[in-house]
Amino acid sequence: MNVLSCSINTLKGLYDISGVEVGQHFYWQIGSFQVHGQVLITSWVVIAILLGSATIAVRNPQTIPTVGQNFFEYVLEFIRDVSKTQIGEEYGPWVPFIGTMFLFIFVSNWSGALLPWKIIQLPHGELAAPTNDINTTVALALLTSVAYFYAGLTKKGLGYFGKYIQPTPILLPINILEDFTKPLSLSFRLFGNILADELVVVVLVSLVPLVVPIPVMLLGLFTSGIQALIFATLAAAYIGESMEGHH
Amino acid sequence: MANMMMSSYKAIITSSSSTIPPSPRFKLSLPQIPFPKLSLPKSLKSHNPLSLPSNLKSISVILASSLVIAPPSLAEEIEKASLFDFNLTLPIMMAEFLFLMFALDKLYYSPLGKFMDERDSSIKEKLNSVKDTSSEVKQLEDQAAAIMKAARAEISAALNKMKKETQLEVEQKIGEGRKKVEAELQEALASLEKQKEETIKSLDSQIAALSDDIVKKVLPVSN
Repeated sequence: MNVLSCSINTLKGLYDISGVEVGQHFYWQIGSFQVHGQVLITSWVVIAILLGSATIAVRNPQTIPTVGQNFFEYVLEFIRDVSKTQIGEEYGPWVPFIGTMFLFIFVSNWSGALLPWKIIQLPHGELAAPTNDINTTVALALLTSVAYFYAGLTKKGLGYFGKYIQPTPILLPINILEDFTKPLSLSFRLFGNILADELVVVVLVSLVPLVVPIPVMLLGLFTSGIQALIFATLAAAYIGESMEGHH
Repeated sequence: MANMMMSSYKAIITSSSSTIPPSPRFKLSLPQIPFPKLSLPKSLKSHNPLSLPSNLKSISVILASSLVIAPPSLAEEIEKASLFDFNLTLPIMMAEFLFLMFALDKLYYSPLGKFMDERDSSIKEKLNSVKDTSSEVKQLEDQAAAIMKAARAEISAALNKMKKETQLEVEQKIGEGRKKVEAELQEALASLEKQKEETIKSLDSQIAALSDDIVKKVLPVSN
């Protein structure tokens, strides 16, 4: 017991860093409303990272791209590819939406895994990936819903609502239900995955602080990337679905 | 998970499920289990009737018992209240996302996309122009061959012409020479004839004298 406490004492610093507080928020009061300060802070950092790196890399584009520009060109090609496969030939105007969806979620997820947020102490709660908070994921999912409604309505006018009775009017309730399940599944998938990933890493770190959590952390990075891709791809798929003609 | 449940259960007991959000309603503090006195939040610690023993074994016993006792519905409610806590953060995140979308579009997607498209089209243009030059090269080669052919024909024509000219000249010169020779020949012949006649004439006169001499010599007797 003595030995155990000793070894634990030496690793106390690690424990302190790895502590997790689920469902605790750093509340800010704005008027009569409350906001989750930790989510806003991390999202600002993520936005700053994205805008800063994009500005630096794309400021002065070269015909033969430099390393940074090459990377950003690759990312843009990737986003365009995703949008094109899901939306079709009219993907152009949706590249900013899909791309920002992907980049924001991706950088958020990876910031939660890679940036040492725990160094900064908050009075309540702790800094983590912005996608760790249900507000963020629901916000993104609702924006996706708005986006695909907008896409369908601008493309087909009120005829867009004809898809609810396609292929038979019997499916009307299910088609309406889909509009609720889409944002629900989008937001909860992202939220659950990121939160679960961080929890698993924290629990493992608290049990075995060295080496063992590393594969799980790598798996977490992989999952984070996949989740960002899934969210962006599904958003593009929904937009494409509402834009395509129903025959 | 068990720890989460336990601590949430404890939180219910201690803070009597206060609805003020800033108060720590639910806390997962797995790593701090071995030394709860060091790291437990003050509010929890002060009100905690089930102060955590430092013995791991007893913790596990309590953990198991609390797991059994814990009403799952209540724990769920607490979890929901803190995890699924919707407030002004949601619209703010929406606004932030839209801002990021427009900013990235202005900074990244539009300029770089335009630049890439322009570069692609220019490369394609250049490639096409290269393909065109290959036909141009062929055309030029044909042209060169035609020029060569024409030049060769010209040269051979000039050669023939020159040959003919020189032949004519040569023939002319030969003719001239021949005429000259003939004229000289004629002249020579004429002079020869003249000489012959002269010699014949002179011979004729001499013949008379000679024949007289011969007759004198042959016929002395008769004298």
